[in-house]
Amino acid sequence: MSNIVEINNLTKKYANKTALDNVNLNIERGKVVGILGPNGSGKTTLIKILTGLLRQTSGEVLIDGNKVGVKTKSAVSYLPDRNFLYKWMRIEDASHMYKDFYTDFDEAKFNELLAFMNLNRSMKIDSLSKGMHEKLNLALVLSRNAKLYILDEPIAGVDPVARDQILDAIINNYNEDSSMIITTHLVRDMESMFDEVVFLKDGQIVLTGNAEALREEKAKQIEEIYKEIFGEG
Amino acid sequence: MEFNSNLPIYIQIMNLIKTKIASGELNGGDKLPSVREFSKEMKVNPNTIQRVYQELEREKLVFTQRGMGTFVTEDTDIIKNLKKDRAAELINQFFLDMGSLGFRIDAIKKMVSEWTNKEESI
Amino acid sequence: MVKLMKYEIKGTYKILLGILALVLILITGIYMYSRDSSNFLNFGAIFMTLSVLVLFGTSLATFLYIVSSFKNELYEDRGYLTFTLPLTGNQIVGAKLLVAMFWFFILGLAIFLYNLMMISIFSTSEFDFSELFKAVGQVVSVKEIIIGVIGGIFNLANFFILIYFSMALGRVTFRNKKIGGLWFVIFLVLSGLLAFIQVQIIELFPYYFDINTFKMGTMEELYNFEISIGNEVSISSETGIFKLNIASSIYNIIELIVLYLGTAYLIEKKIDL
Repeated sequence: MSNIVEINNLTKKYANKTALDNVNLNIERGKVVGILGPNGSGKTTLIKILTGLLRQTSGEVLIDGNKVGVKTKSAVSYLPDRNFLYKWMRIEDASHMYKDFYTDFDEAKFNELLAFMNLNRSMKIDSLSKGMHEKLNLALVLSRNAKLYILDEPIAGVDPVARDQILDAIINNYNEDSSMIITTHLVRDMESMFDEVVFLKDGQIVLTGNAEALREEKAKQIEEIYKEIFGEG
Repeated sequence: MEFNSNLPIYIQIMNLIKTKIASGELNGGDKLPSVREFSKEMKVNPNTIQRVYQELEREKLVFTQRGMGTFVTEDTDIIKNLKKDRAAELINQFFLDMGSLGFRIDAIKKMVSEWTNKEESI
Repeated sequence: MVKLMKYEIKGTYKILLGILALVLILITGIYMYSRDSSNFLNFGAIFMTLSVLVLFGTSLATFLYIVSSFKNELYEDRGYLTFTLPLTGNQIVGAKLLVAMFWFFILGLAIFLYNLMMISIFSTSEFDFSELFKAVGQVVSVKEIIIGVIGGIFNLANFFILIYFSMALGRVTFRNKKIGGLWFVIFLVLSGLLAFIQVQIIELFPYYFDINTFKMGTMEELYNFEISIGNEVSISSETGIFKLNIASSIYNIIELIVLYLGTAYLIEKKIDL
């Protein structure tokens, strides 16, 4: 099977609104897929269903042929859009924890990434700034040799220097055998990284395709297409 | 590198390499960076660089040696043709731009010869 | 699961050992003042009252701290880490429960031993522990103590898991984080319901197991049996503390298992973070 992710007729309803409306999406192995849309478009809901933090109302989700569960959790390396590490930890502890729970965690690679991000193992999680948090979390996530990486808004709200470090780290550590899903509304900074893009609006996929093919077809960069779809100035 | 034009990114990178070959910054037989290195340098998806090299190979501007890497062609005729193509593109663009300013061929020719005379006299 | 327990303990030990240290200091204070009876009426009395209040407060704080650690998984960002680890619901609930039990056991044991030590230090007359144990041994048998401890641990586990279950159910039922306190209402209702069922079961199946004699029967049968063997019936046997109601014990075990599996199911299959 060539698809790492298969999503069929996925719907997620909350009490008073529909967050995802009949989404169908297949993601091929070895591809970097950008899920694009403004806040509230359903990006994070989709990601949280893939990582097992949310349950779908209806539809099917398969990762590497398996339903979301313990097995898929060990195959997926997930960067949430928040500080998910325990507050009492030092970076050291987080590293140990990843090593304990994920057999694919590469500690040497993690140390390299920490150095690249100007962080060190004795720092306390509690005392890190927003940008440092994002860099640390990304370093942990990229240090796993996972089948699928899921990065939720990796550069939202960080300063330009941290942003460049984060983008470099993603490019440098991307490996052709794995796949990557990145959500963002900051399209300009990230568009050159995507193989495929998915535009999500009000819980529905309004446009999807190969990024280069879309550029060719519309004679526009992805960012322009994004502005067209979402009517942003 | 910023990708601002409306062309696909792989074509923009191809043009960049073509310009380097035409200008002699890259010579016949020079090794191009590996896909991975180049993708880091350009900050683009490695699959995009892969495509750039495939397309350049199809146009016979580069060749790949198994296990060695990708090299600029040593065929001087192809490089000459590339230069001619690039020159033709520039001239074409020049005439289009001048045309949009309202100059006709005769006027343009006159201006060009006046300009070359001035350049020679310096 | 053991791995998760390791990080649970690492994350909580500083605060809990801090609480323990505070409690031990207060206990020392109480013993020092109670020895000096002349002090008892003025400053000492105030200190004693305060100490008892603080002791009560700290044990409550400890309890809430341990219990809220489960709630935090459901309501705070750390859940994004815990619930994406490659662990089953059973393993997560198990780790949480065992660590909570572990802390209660450690703190209880430490305070108990410290009290014994204080008694031996501050006691006016020569204090002999073997005398104390002999005295205790006359009232209850070793078997009874063991069963008592096991029963205590069991009840504590039941209590914790009911709280966890209520929290998980509260989280699944009400998405709104602001009314997260509703778990307590669920807890009260469930406690009442479960206790009511237990009483019904005891009335329905009044068969007991006497751990001293290993005899089974109704209360009357056991009682008559003891009378018939003579006058050596111990106080505790007469009060029936160590006669286990068989149906109710089985009910408790089933309750524990069901609540455990139920909580695990809820956090693995139902909760939307």
